[in-house]
Amino acid sequence: MKMFKVTMLSTAVAFAALPSVSFAQDTVISVIKPTPRSAVFFPLVVGEALGYFEDEGITVNLLPSDTSIPYVAFIQNGQADLAMLDPNETINAINAGANINTVYEVMQNAPEGIAVLAGGEYTSMDDLVGTTVGLVSDRDRAFLQAALDITGHSIDDVQTVVLGESGPTLAAAIRDGNVSAISGSVFDWAALVANGIEIDTVTPEELLASPANTLAMNADMIEEKREAMEGFFRAWSKGMHVGATNPDAVEAMLRAAVPEEWEVEAAGMGLFQGVLPMNISTTERMGDLQADVWTSVQPRMLSSGAIKNVVDVSTFLNDTYIDAANDFDKAQVEAAAAAWLEAN
Amino acid sequence: MAVQDATSEVLVDTLERSLRNRRIAKHVGIFLTLTLLWELGSRMGWLDPLFYPRPSNIIRSFWLIYFQNANVWFHLYSTISLVIIGWVLGSMLGIGLGALVGFNTVIRRFLKPYVIVLEATPRIAVAPLLIAALGFGVNSKLAIIMLVCFFAPFINTLSGVINVNEERLELFRSMRASKTQILRKLVLPDAIPVIMAGERLALTAALSGALVAEFIQRDKGIGSLILVYTRNLNMASAFACIFTLTIIGFLIFKGMEKLDHYIAYWKYEGGRERMSAKRKRTMVEP
Repeated sequence: MKMFKVTMLSTAVAFAALPSVSFAQDTVISVIKPTPRSAVFFPLVVGEALGYFEDEGITVNLLPSDTSIPYVAFIQNGQADLAMLDPNETINAINAGANINTVYEVMQNAPEGIAVLAGGEYTSMDDLVGTTVGLVSDRDRAFLQAALDITGHSIDDVQTVVLGESGPTLAAAIRDGNVSAISGSVFDWAALVANGIEIDTVTPEELLASPANTLAMNADMIEEKREAMEGFFRAWSKGMHVGATNPDAVEAMLRAAVPEEWEVEAAGMGLFQGVLPMNISTTERMGDLQADVWTSVQPRMLSSGAIKNVVDVSTFLNDTYIDAANDFDKAQVEAAAAAWLEAN
Repeated sequence: MAVQDATSEVLVDTLERSLRNRRIAKHVGIFLTLTLLWELGSRMGWLDPLFYPRPSNIIRSFWLIYFQNANVWFHLYSTISLVIIGWVLGSMLGIGLGALVGFNTVIRRFLKPYVIVLEATPRIAVAPLLIAALGFGVNSKLAIIMLVCFFAPFINTLSGVINVNEERLELFRSMRASKTQILRKLVLPDAIPVIMAGERLALTAALSGALVAEFIQRDKGIGSLILVYTRNLNMASAFACIFTLTIIGFLIFKGMEKLDHYIAYWKYEGGRERMSAKRKRTMVEP
């Protein structure tokens, strides 16, 4: 009996220790993306710091994951409301019959690139032929394919190896010459540079203008979730606007929200400076969908083998939330950011 | 005679204490020497700072993550609570099913092949599928931990139950003991030491399971924090997190050892005497 009581008690204690669950009345928007809260997607952190998501009655449930299962699957099974996809992932999902719509462009310039050791023997894409190129993740293969295709080569002309996101592995691989180049993103280079590993990029110019990390959702839920989604994107756009007008405030918010990225000052600052312009839209409306760019990148993806068929962009680009996402008083947002900075 | 006994007892105690202190001093000495060599190697450039940050920087990182930024507490709480809950649930399932399969030969015959197949499957490989099936959040993380730490209690409980001493079982039967009495007075006391050994393995496995879950679902936990630090090449803080896990693992091991000493006290030298003295005290006190 005593043993039974001990077991029951320990179980009760264990359940009491369950991580706290939010019972707020807010609408929860679940977003699957590769990273947790980070400078990499600062509009989210800014929106939360200034209470914009809360004002819209939204709680953002981040699902940062490195799962091998495609993100689209999580939209289709309803576990995620939004998935952060690259263009080739989007097109491949559409080609596979996924009923999704791209509704917001988080980045309008590709943060991806092909990096080589500065002052090393590799100075162009042509030099990479016959060598081993490292990929930060399998998702970077398509970008490398496109880069090689533009320069008249194919993915078969190089050997590839997935190195993973671990900084030491990437740094040692490129520094020690185990790989000739790394296909990754500005987020990966920042830490290398901060640690004294100078790099150059050999990315073809044509690839720089490309949507990246776009947000897609289940097309059937567009109307059902309209109010929440409009609020979500408005809060995101407000965060983006603070980035464009008051980077100091953004930096301060990031230092408070993700201190782990700022423990090494040079790495934190390098990352921040790298991602700041990436997260600010170049279109007139923030987060707008650039149909012409989506159309122009597809033949390249097709010829490199990254996608199987070209898709008519009108079938999946849906800007129904964009007007609402930009419908806010910019002066008010600027004042709020300035006030936050002064108070903190 | 009594005075002589007491004196020799004191002498033995002093000798034991002195031996223990000397042993601890030796361990501390080795640890400090290795740490100093590591520091020296890093400063002299013999060790690659990408992989081996200076111990002094790791100590600084401990200060940063625990006190200055204090960002580790949230993740630590998340990991430890997951480990405890996952371990309790996995153990309950393992012990319960182990006992059921042990007592019932029909269930054993049907369930055994599945258990063997499941045991042979690398549980870590199933983790992404579990997340896809159960969704993101606590549930799938707990499922991964439960899956990882279920087998040791299951196998040990099963083995404890089916390997009950036949002669004593015969004795119980000859005395017309009921099934409940056989379970409480014979099977469980016999099996508990083996079950406890399984529990110790399960709790250590639960920590690994939690880390795997956090590496896949990067929302919170020490595992996700390690990924952030390694991605940023902040190896000193990554090491501080890894050493935190080492300390947790050590505490878990010691805690389970204590629990084992308490529950299966008869297995250890002086255990019965200690327990009977304790019971005596409880009986005397009002």
